[in-house]
Amino acid sequence: MAKYYDIDDIITEEEIVSVIFQKPASGVGIDPSSETDFIETGSKVELPFWLAHELQLRQAVSVNVPPCFNQKTRLEIQADSASVDLRSRCPFFYEFGCKIAPIVSDRTIGFLLLSAFKSRYKEVLTKAHTAAFAAGSKFWTILTKEEINLYEAAQSAMISFKKWRKGGPRFQIASILGRKRKSTE
Amino acid sequence: MYGRKACELVKEFASVGKGQLTQYNSDLFEQVVAECSQHHLELQSLIRKMQEEGLDVQTARNADHYGALIHHLSLVRNKRCLMAYVNNRAEIIRSLVWKIGSVLPKEIEEKLSHTEEEYFSKYSGELKKYMSKMELDLTVDMVPPKDPYIKVRVLDDIGDGIVLSDKTANFARHSIHFLKRTDAEQFISRGLMEELTG
Repeated sequence: MAKYYDIDDIITEEEIVSVIFQKPASGVGIDPSSETDFIETGSKVELPFWLAHELQLRQAVSVNVPPCFNQKTRLEIQADSASVDLRSRCPFFYEFGCKIAPIVSDRTIGFLLLSAFKSRYKEVLTKAHTAAFAAGSKFWTILTKEEINLYEAAQSAMISFKKWRKGGPRFQIASILGRKRKSTE
Repeated sequence: MYGRKACELVKEFASVGKGQLTQYNSDLFEQVVAECSQHHLELQSLIRKMQEEGLDVQTARNADHYGALIHHLSLVRNKRCLMAYVNNRAEIIRSLVWKIGSVLPKEIEEKLSHTEEEYFSKYSGELKKYMSKMELDLTVDMVPPKDPYIKVRVLDDIGDGIVLSDKTANFARHSIHFLKRTDAEQFISRGLMEELTG
């Protein structure tokens, strides 16, 4: 439960997966396509991950592979993973994949994540260390949240190093107050 | 319903950069709390229905049970989102006390709710009590010191006759002073002065 308060974890678990109900459920209006409050056995519903996970533990649903891990994405990753726009598929591609791998009946998700990460990692680091701030922006839009954290960590390491070499001011305005300080007359 | 509004609240918190605060969204917060009550009511009515049918609530696994389960899980999820929202904001407020001191700048005060402002003042009061017992100011030297004195330029009009640890000084705008690092650190982190190098 170390990630209970973690904001990224909460947002990751909100991803939609499609499930098939193995048991009926009454009194819930969660299925927008059905007219009544009753969900039949065998009906296909889109649920957020946190709900699907809990229901699957109690064997009330079976979870299908989400669309961000489908065949099309796999082929793109095999072809050239560094340019695949993972953020539009799922901004928490790796975290979500790790969570969904044990409950979906698909053993290959782990390998997919590993190979995608290995090839993209090299790209992320080279771009972060060499490109100037604005130049890397196009590349930035296809990265997932975890990769962005890596990218920013590498960039801030570079900036700190340059600052140390140059010797700049060491005291800074508190970051919460923002960069531009308006003068209050 | 079913945790979507609660997730909106969390996403709004995450939408600004790390360590920044958004305006406290009391409307959305209240709505999520109201949703929790709603889920609870539905849960109770489903359980009651099961009891009326004479089923054992602990072990029966019919449609009502799964419906009640979904309501329960949504409630727990709402709770998690609300707790994370409040907790993360409280963490940022605590770090504020260490960086800026006990006076809240106006632009941040607007973003906090009433209880959060109380939390800020209580926390900074406790910190002051602790520091006075130890006779040590813990909020200075956040960056390891190199020189006891530094050169600063005043950015905003702070006022005249400010009492520092070894002298009084008049801080007119754009004036340059040679201050003790421990005094200047407080003003720099509030953005009222900047450090001059070279």
